[in-house]
Amino acid sequence: MRAISLGVRNVLRNRFRTSLTILGVAVAILAFVLLRTVLSAWTVAADYAAKDRVVTRHKVSFIMTLPGKYVNDVEETPGVKSALLSSWFGAKDPNHENEFFGTIAVDPKKFFEVYDEVVVPPEQKAAFLTERRGIIIGDALAKKVGYKVGQRLTLKGTIYPGDWEFIVSGIYTTTRQSIDRSSMFFHYDYLNEWAKEKRPRAADQVGWIISRIEKGKRPADVAKTLDSKFEERDVQTLSQDERTFNTSFLGMISAVLKAVDVVSIVILAIMMLILGNTIAMGVRERTHEYGMLRAIGFLPKHLVIFVVGEAATVGLLGGIVGLLLSYPIVEQGLGRFLEENMGAFFPYFRIDPKTPPIALGLSLLLGVFAAIIPAYRASQLDVASSLRKIG
Amino acid sequence: MSETARELNDEKAGTEGGAKTSGSGAPAAAKPPVVVLSKVRKTYFRGKEPVEVLKDLDLEIPTGSFEALMGPSGSGKSTLLNLIAGLDRASSGVVQVAGSDLGKLSESARTKWRSQNIGFIFQTFNMLPVLTALENVELPLLLTNLSSAERRQRAQTALKIVGLEDRMDHYPRELSGGQEQRVTIARAIVTDPPILVADEPTGDLDRDSAEDILDLLGKLNVEFEKTIIMVTHDPAAAERATIVRRLNKGLLV
Repeated sequence: MRAISLGVRNVLRNRFRTSLTILGVAVAILAFVLLRTVLSAWTVAADYAAKDRVVTRHKVSFIMTLPGKYVNDVEETPGVKSALLSSWFGAKDPNHENEFFGTIAVDPKKFFEVYDEVVVPPEQKAAFLTERRGIIIGDALAKKVGYKVGQRLTLKGTIYPGDWEFIVSGIYTTTRQSIDRSSMFFHYDYLNEWAKEKRPRAADQVGWIISRIEKGKRPADVAKTLDSKFEERDVQTLSQDERTFNTSFLGMISAVLKAVDVVSIVILAIMMLILGNTIAMGVRERTHEYGMLRAIGFLPKHLVIFVVGEAATVGLLGGIVGLLLSYPIVEQGLGRFLEENMGAFFPYFRIDPKTPPIALGLSLLLGVFAAIIPAYRASQLDVASSLRKIG
Repeated sequence: MSETARELNDEKAGTEGGAKTSGSGAPAAAKPPVVVLSKVRKTYFRGKEPVEVLKDLDLEIPTGSFEALMGPSGSGKSTLLNLIAGLDRASSGVVQVAGSDLGKLSESARTKWRSQNIGFIFQTFNMLPVLTALENVELPLLLTNLSSAERRQRAQTALKIVGLEDRMDHYPRELSGGQEQRVTIARAIVTDPPILVADEPTGDLDRDSAEDILDLLGKLNVEFEKTIIMVTHDPAAAERATIVRRLNKGLLV
């Protein structure tokens, strides 16, 4: 037997209480891992961006449009291989009101040049290119909602009101995670014809232009060239590499991300207080034993080791149990659900490899912190008083 | 000296320092007193009000004696025992035990002194429930330089002395009250201290178990030459002592 093992074995003393405490710590660690995964998944969405794409938007705001003719100017810019116009459509499927998915109007020919990671079977691709009302749907969304190739689909426009008729030309998959698998892409011309007739001010306008740049060219240089090209025009642009463009979305929700970050720390602090309370209870209950240990020659520092050792063990066990729970819950359960249903935000919802060691380290460290006050009190016990009885 | 007593003393080499009993079996009267208290006062404060528990107490306890301290509740017997055992400090006066002036020792020096000179036997046993009988006995040896094997050997010997060699791997919950107290006694003697202090050692035991414990204390006094200072309310227990002292209102009467 070693002195340190005494602290560890005290963990087994009140098994029910210890089990509950370990479970409490485990739940806190699970919440911590989950929130950290949300944070890293947001960042991963940006990290998955293609390195050879540049996005050009209105200089003032993403929600303001660009003249459609800019796409030709962009494509003629040195370093740009291909340019794709895109506009956010915004629609709901009346049969699946609660389903959220991106609906984007694009130039179908250019779409496959710029997004070469999008894969559609050849016959479906051919159908999409020729059918004016053709639409391609990500496989995750198609699987979830049950869309089939050839199906007629009526969407209710939110930005462009009315019932919009489409034909599902194909189901796309992706070779990389730089584009989510829960979106729909359809012909820009279909949208623009409607705009010309119903909303002339919106006609020939596009939301943003995505350029595929030539190999060896630096996105920053191309972006600079593009913006300088439109500097003297009525509408100025802001061009960014795809990662920066995606990250700018994160900037819009940075307050939320910061709040998530803070909450993950607050959860651990609560865990520390719960653990500290449990350890303090144990110390109070063992006053006589600590008095005995001090009487037979153990020093205050030994009691500190016993108490801290016990708390650190509980913290660590809670951390391990929390991580064991995290993997199936976060990666298999929630992760798969989010990837399939909210792929636009969480294309890759997996636990960051850095999170488990951080969680374990923090559970151990917080266990030690939680024990500071109880350990100090144990070390300061007056030996005679702690053993005293009337006599 | 019995065979087991000799065994424990032979294994003593690993422990540090400490006053030693002669082990010669010479009459106690020939040796200097192991405890000398001179003009000892102990005052507690109940709020701002001082409560004098011991009043100018003078006391000499001969080496190798078996003393019983008796007296009504609040008479100061446990306080006196705590002062002798180095658990508490006197408010004034000199407390000299096993050759050390306890008033001059720092807190940590007193702690070390206790580990080498005093064996504690408590009324409520105070065993650690997560440790086996053997591990409970081994506990004080964790503070020595003995190897793990030596510690185990010594703990086994101590348990043999108290007659619990067949209960070494039992946890406290698996032992009777009398057996628990025997383990406590084994823990008290495992470092071979010259003095054993016992605070109501039979207070939580039935009569038969109490008799067994008193027999064992007698054996430790006679065969192992331990000085035993026992606080008790029980006249039957006090009868086993060689000297009985009575305290009343902080004075020896």
